[in-house]
Amino acid sequence: MERRKFLKVLGLSSLFLHGWLKELFAAQGATVAVAQGGDHAATTRKALAALGGMQRFVKPGQTVVVKPNIGWDRTPEYAATTNPAVVKALVEECLKAGAKRVKVFDRTCNDPRRCYTSSGIEATLKGMRNVEVKQIEEERFKKVALNGKVLKDAELYGEALSADVYINVPVAKHHGLSRLTLGMKNVMGIMGGNRGAIHRNLDQALADVNAVFRPQLTVIDATRILVAHGPQGGSLADVKVLNQIIASTDMVAADAYATTLFGLKPADIAVTRTAYQRGLGEMRLDRMRIVRA
Amino acid sequence: MRKTTSARIAQLCFLALFLVLFLMTEYQGSDRIVAAVNGFFRADPLVAASTMLAVKGYVPLLLPGLVVLFLALFLGRFFCGWICPLGTLLDLVTGRIKKAGALPPLTGGAKYWLLFPLLFASLFGVNLAGLLDPIALLLRALTFFFHPLAGDAVRGVWRSLYGVIGERRDLLDPGYRLVRDYLIPFRETLYPLAFFSALLFFLILFLERYETRAWCRRLCPLGTLLGLVARLGPLRRVPEKLCPDCRACREHCPTSFDRELLQSEECILCMECEARCPARRIRFRFGRPRLDFPASAGRRVFLGGILGGVVLAKSFRFRAPEAQAKLLRPPGVRDEEVFLKKCVRCGECMKVCLRSALYPAFLQAGPEALYTPLVIPRLGYCEYNCTLCGQVCPSGAIPDLQPEEKRREVIGKAVFDKNHCLPFAKRTDCIVCEEHCPVPGKAIRSEAVTLTGFDGKPVTVQQPYVVDELCNGCGICENVCPLEGKAAIEVFRVKDRTPLSAPSRDASPPDPYAGVKG
Repeated sequence: MERRKFLKVLGLSSLFLHGWLKELFAAQGATVAVAQGGDHAATTRKALAALGGMQRFVKPGQTVVVKPNIGWDRTPEYAATTNPAVVKALVEECLKAGAKRVKVFDRTCNDPRRCYTSSGIEATLKGMRNVEVKQIEEERFKKVALNGKVLKDAELYGEALSADVYINVPVAKHHGLSRLTLGMKNVMGIMGGNRGAIHRNLDQALADVNAVFRPQLTVIDATRILVAHGPQGGSLADVKVLNQIIASTDMVAADAYATTLFGLKPADIAVTRTAYQRGLGEMRLDRMRIVRA
Repeated sequence: MRKTTSARIAQLCFLALFLVLFLMTEYQGSDRIVAAVNGFFRADPLVAASTMLAVKGYVPLLLPGLVVLFLALFLGRFFCGWICPLGTLLDLVTGRIKKAGALPPLTGGAKYWLLFPLLFASLFGVNLAGLLDPIALLLRALTFFFHPLAGDAVRGVWRSLYGVIGERRDLLDPGYRLVRDYLIPFRETLYPLAFFSALLFFLILFLERYETRAWCRRLCPLGTLLGLVARLGPLRRVPEKLCPDCRACREHCPTSFDRELLQSEECILCMECEARCPARRIRFRFGRPRLDFPASAGRRVFLGGILGGVVLAKSFRFRAPEAQAKLLRPPGVRDEEVFLKKCVRCGECMKVCLRSALYPAFLQAGPEALYTPLVIPRLGYCEYNCTLCGQVCPSGAIPDLQPEEKRREVIGKAVFDKNHCLPFAKRTDCIVCEEHCPVPGKAIRSEAVTLTGFDGKPVTVQQPYVVDELCNGCGICENVCPLEGKAAIEVFRVKDRTPLSAPSRDASPPDPYAGVKG
């Protein structure tokens, strides 16, 4: 009898405690690695090591997508696209961890040929074995049911959906509408169709997509950040060199930390706030473990 | 099969060169284009003559055309028999087409009635020669019809292959990449006038039903111009007439022996007669210049040409004012009149345009502007850092500019339509235009405005506005505007297309990449 009662109490209390327990686990889960250094490849590796190394995410024989931001026809110093050195370091680590194939792509805003060239990413990865840098092919988009708050479904890129591991590698920069564009917004590079239309309700729409499509790892390139006139910039006066790399399995936490680099609070960014409210990750800085490397 | 002669080899080489250059007229990963098909137009005497007559001045880019015209004085219509890619194509197919005999309306002076009005119209300021220039005709058929068709077919197969074999298609990817990068256009583009361009080309092929090289000898204004010059020159075929004992030249000659006497303004110097003469009597040698005009190109045609030129020049000028608002010219074109005089209507700029922003005009810009390039931002915008159209333009109608100059050239100015624009009309956020505006300081900016939403609750939205001083009219805003159909921001033509002022070099910000290991 005694045992039964105990179980009942435990069962009931777990119902009440459910929310608290969830928060407890969430707080434990959010580890954000922040690495600093002028050698951006080495800095990327340091941040990875702080999270347990790439072998934690990539198992031998797996197919990996490394998704940088190649959205604009800008050279790397303008901080509108992901630093090619960071992308290359990640790709190399994936291969070292035994990845069968690493695919790198982005749905660009400017002409894809110019973006792939100007960003330096195509040239940096050229000639690497088992690495594929291909432009988007329309027929590979697949309709995915989201059943979200504003988006019922979305066209997502097949290569991203079919990958065993998806690594999200945005560059931290200013954005006219969402104030900043970070990990959450980088998912737009695998979205098809009329992407402009989701700007009407950007924070909820991004939460809808990111709730279903979840990267295993987010690495934010803050080697240099664009502080104004984003997301394209075009003037070095708007670029600030920080030499930082932020990595986390919790995209919201990584975004939240990156927000501080711009002198803002995570809650200032509607996209981050909404993601947090919808339980996609942690945005409270005091609830995450920040590991400096 | 015809015997291989030097003329034949030259023809095939030039045709191959033309096609290779055509395929190279495309972005290949570098800001400067290595080679483009524009060389053929720069060496085109008809283009040189008509353009220089129209602008009434010397156009240095077209000097090779003058050189060819000068050479024609000594070498006759060698261009037609040795170089012209359209002529070569005709030679390649003509053997399979049965001949029905010359078409009466085309014999005699028809070609002069075509050439003179075109040249005089140029003199009176309307340059229409490009419409009938054989190389332009061929290039337009390729650019607007055959190449997109090939691209469509290949890409269609590639796409449906994905539906059939899925990811295994990746095995074939290296092969497809070669085809995609070197043989087919980068994206599917449908051009207005594609049908018409193909039709003209097929019409020229159709004329082969009547006689060999019917277009070349009866109509082609370029050939006619060269023929006129050739007739003045000293080059002679000996004997000039058919020999009474043989007359085989009549069979071998593709153009000039429908009468007893060789028509020197129609001889394309293929030298078939020399190669095939059983008695080896025939020689081409220099004699005394004849300095006579063909009878069919007499005073009547000349005067008729002037009259025709006036009619063409004056009756081709109508432009509906309301249509003009959307007549956007490629970057660097500041004056419509000068542009129309220089534009060859070859279609190269449209072929090379990185974002497929350029399309041939039909009648929007007036009949005289048929086939001239227009930017249609809703279909494609002008890429900020791209200068390809100016690089390939044979006559400099679109100037070849450095990227930093080109970025400041004004195509038009963007204007919002607040009745459509979401933050105004629907009180929701959008700002896709600001996001895409490539100007470093942003020519489209936005301000946060708090309004009462339609549900009665206050909403804060970003409302965009245009900074005219920074807008170069590239049209990316109109292109990406997420509204369906009509965009809420549109680029309109402006009269004053003075380039934007250079960005101030504010205390030269330090290069953040300096001293960083790649």
